[in-house]
Amino acid sequence: MTWTWFHRLGSPPHIYRLATRLTPWFAWPAALIIVAALYGGLVLAPPDYQQGDGFRMVYVHAPCAWMSLMVYTTLAVASAVGLIWRMKVAYAVAASCAPIGASFTAAALMTGMLFGRPMWGTYWAWDPQLTFELVLLFIYLGYMGLRSSFDDPQRADRASSMLAVVGFIDVPIIHFSTTWWNSLHQAPSVLRFGKPTIALPMLIPLLMMLLGFTLYFVAILLVRLRGEILRRERSASWLREAIVS
Amino acid sequence: MTAFFRMGGYAQYLWPAYGITFAVVILNIVWARRTLARARREARRRLAVRDEPVLHGEEV
Repeated sequence: MTWTWFHRLGSPPHIYRLATRLTPWFAWPAALIIVAALYGGLVLAPPDYQQGDGFRMVYVHAPCAWMSLMVYTTLAVASAVGLIWRMKVAYAVAASCAPIGASFTAAALMTGMLFGRPMWGTYWAWDPQLTFELVLLFIYLGYMGLRSSFDDPQRADRASSMLAVVGFIDVPIIHFSTTWWNSLHQAPSVLRFGKPTIALPMLIPLLMMLLGFTLYFVAILLVRLRGEILRRERSASWLREAIVS
Repeated sequence: MTAFFRMGGYAQYLWPAYGITFAVVILNIVWARRTLARARREARRRLAVRDEPVLHGEEV
């Protein structure tokens, strides 16, 4: 078995060029899919029989919440890869994820408050899912704070990655909290075992939103990753080539 | 059209939620591009600092 692909995966110049080339292939489909999903969610989907038109908030709230968990999972996996194989590029991926994930976690909390006010009668409750989502925001902020507290980038990578791997425990807790505990928050209706419990004209725009936001995340990640690689590369002559192009 | 913007009485919650989400979407694009531009500027400066003595050496 040949391991060249694995070594190329760890080669900063290769990843830099690949990231440059791939970005538009994620960014443009993301934009198209999100615009189509907006039309589907705001116009085509029928009002909910209980929540009326208010349910349409799910088309922004769910993607934000999805981003908060999916980006953290990426961050944690990249951190683990970095710790295990001492792969510089993996640490760069992890560091690039953090601000994206933190901002969408904040958005998930804020859109959730706006959703909660008319549906539950309150902006906030110390409910398990809400509380652990808030904890996730603090884990993101802790990760970024810890990184910036080191002068030595290698020690920053190692320490922050350990925090990221330990912090991953919060992700399954958030996802399953509505099943494990009595919660104000409804249980998952799409990402669950068995069939989705939501009607097709409502479900399709939601799935499109999740897909669109995932592609968008990859595009943003690739741009940030290039910056992160440039910042870490001290010696290479390819740097000259990379910044001229 | 006004019925669409009224959103069955949920407008005051729904539109801010959409506003926040897409503000974060746009902000992430701006931040990412700025971070990359800054990294490129810094890399260019590092290269310039390193090249200087060589250039002077050649000139002399």
